[in-house]
Amino acid sequence: MEDLLFCSRYPFTRKAKECAERIGIGLSSSVIEKAEKRLREAAVEGRIRKVAEIPEAMREELAVYATCRMIISSASSRYLIGRYAVAEAKRAREYLDSDELSKPENIDAVAEDLGLAFEKAEDGFLLPFWLYLPFTPRSLDYKLSNRQLAAGKVLVKRSERRRIIEEAVRIRIESSLPIKADFPKEIQEAGKRILGILPKLEASALRLDERDYPPCIRKLLEDLAMNANVPHIGRVALAIYLVNAGLSDDKIVDFFRHAPDFSEKITRYQVEHVRAKKYRMASCSTMDSWGLCVADCRCGNPLNYKESVHGKRLKAEGKKVE
Amino acid sequence: MAGEAMGKEEAHVRKLFSKYYSENKIAMPSAHMREFGFGGWDKKIEFRHIAVPGEAELMAKLALEAPLYVSYSVAYYQFPSARPMVRKGWRGADLVFDLDAPEHSCGKFTCQECLDKVKQDAIKLIEDFLLPDFGFSKSELSANFSGGRGYHVHVKSQAVEQLDRSARREIADYIAGTGLDFDRLFWEDGKKLFGPKPSDGGYGGKFAREYLRRLDDEEFAQQISRKLSKPEEKARLKSAIQQGNWDNIGIANRKRKLREKFEEMRLTLAGRIDANVTADITKLIRMPNSLHGGSGLCAKSIPSLKLDGFEPMRDAQAFRQGSLKIKAAESIPEVPGIVPEKMPAGKIAEVPQAQAAYLLCKKAAVLAD
Ligand SMILES: [Zn+2]
Repeated sequence: MEDLLFCSRYPFTRKAKECAERIGIGLSSSVIEKAEKRLREAAVEGRIRKVAEIPEAMREELAVYATCRMIISSASSRYLIGRYAVAEAKRAREYLDSDELSKPENIDAVAEDLGLAFEKAEDGFLLPFWLYLPFTPRSLDYKLSNRQLAAGKVLVKRSERRRIIEEAVRIRIESSLPIKADFPKEIQEAGKRILGILPKLEASALRLDERDYPPCIRKLLEDLAMNANVPHIGRVALAIYLVNAGLSDDKIVDFFRHAPDFSEKITRYQVEHVRAKKYRMASCSTMDSWGLCVADCRCGNPLNYKESVHGKRLKAEGKKVE
Repeated sequence: MAGEAMGKEEAHVRKLFSKYYSENKIAMPSAHMREFGFGGWDKKIEFRHIAVPGEAELMAKLALEAPLYVSYSVAYYQFPSARPMVRKGWRGADLVFDLDAPEHSCGKFTCQECLDKVKQDAIKLIEDFLLPDFGFSKSELSANFSGGRGYHVHVKSQAVEQLDRSARREIADYIAGTGLDFDRLFWEDGKKLFGPKPSDGGYGGKFAREYLRRLDDEEFAQQISRKLSKPEEKARLKSAIQQGNWDNIGIANRKRKLREKFEEMRLTLAGRIDANVTADITKLIRMPNSLHGGSGLCAKSIPSLKLDGFEPMRDAQAFRQGSLKIKAAESIPEVPGIVPEKMPAGKIAEVPQAQAAYLLCKKAAVLAD
């Protein structure tokens, strides 16, 4: 029972995998249906709902998890896999947070399963830096320069330990997918259905907080985020825009990070170059001649665009903004 | 370069290099998994994507072709000669650090001061960062003179072999103190100021230890507070800092003073290591103990990390026999260890082979015949 509880909460662990193999997984229509639901929640809402922790449901959870992996492998979209991994990691994080109070040994077990050798210290945990670096966000809080590092180990707080585990879960799931296999017909069909939600998702994939990015810039950012290849001239225009819009080099480089041929060194060099040369933003008509203009927003220059002014006009005139 | 007739200076240098490579056996572990790059008279990397079956074949190739620069990939590949890069099958990479002499008026003939400075930086990298903070063992580290005006430190450790660019950049950033937010080390609670303990890791601990050490210096102590001229006050402050309590004596402008002191101490290697080199997981870097075509010196590895007594101009010479008659093509300064006295432009002299090679490679002299 204890084992089952652990395994249904943390189905990505080796222990859970063994447990699932012991139980044996049937591909009932109910399991497939629940797996599809889990995938949809993950893709659309970015989270996965918890189920009641009663033995039958927990046993089924294991089957559902394994089925999710098959369906998403069959669908085989990098984008969906990415979103799914994020949602699974978030689900695990919720359990980690509650286990911290009631069953801290579960956290030790998950960490160990992921190969994260945390060592108990006086005021937190110690983690070797080579395990710390791959699983921490690039932020000032986690920046190694701001951390206590000695004898190869970084001191992390209790709550940070869970954050690091969450990221390790995400990476384990993402890097283990897709599974290459011939899937049964039911799985393939479910895979196709899941792929069906993709276009809708992609359209809203990059809901930018910066609402005042003009349509042409938004399109370039979306293409980059969707791993689409953006032509060189488009990248240059984007870099010039973002520099002029007042973003830092780091932030700009981050936008390019998803490009298929991303090179940190080259991108950084180019952005710095744009900044140093003080390039001016191309006008709308120049953007158009480069094939980068996507909407008649009449702002003259992308830098003049204001959602409140030009966005309304586009809407009023019924122009399509891609 | 291909197609162009080789100048007689280049021909002479190549002959010396070829002899060196046929007479010296250079260790090159995992040679079959590395990409090599060779350079010529005008370009440090002229050919790359070169693969060799092993150390012996590499040495034969070097003796035969006598490249003026030899670099190898920090990465281990399944197919080192494949192109484009993604086909090489990256298997991991050593972690490397590149330290170069600072920009200085000495220019082409790096002065002793600059050479000493970069040597101290290399020592600091090893003694203050790689050993204590990153916890590498001495056996995982090796250091060599770059052959030019700096040093390379290589880390061979399974622990870091798989780290990607961004993790490696974090390591370089830590060493350079990039992104270090000094204010995070301290926090106030009413009148009290709390901060790092000397036993802490990272920059907090470094700062606390150095601060305690410097409090013994009267001038330093006076700059903090006049009260510290009383021995009992100083003792009180010192024992408080041991516990992470940074102000129990009422110091004026304490946070500003601490920041100033931190900057004065130069605990980081800011601007002294090239973070791009460390982050580059496909970097080609000078092969230790190979010859440098810009100086005729050897990129000598320094046994047991004993940089202290190492004098590159003296200890990295590769040609210790014979002499050669050369003509100074420009005014040449004295360079301790290798050019014993100044040579005005146009002067012809018979000089030791190492000095001749040095000046020919620097393109500061030509053969005098
Ligand atoms: Zn100098």
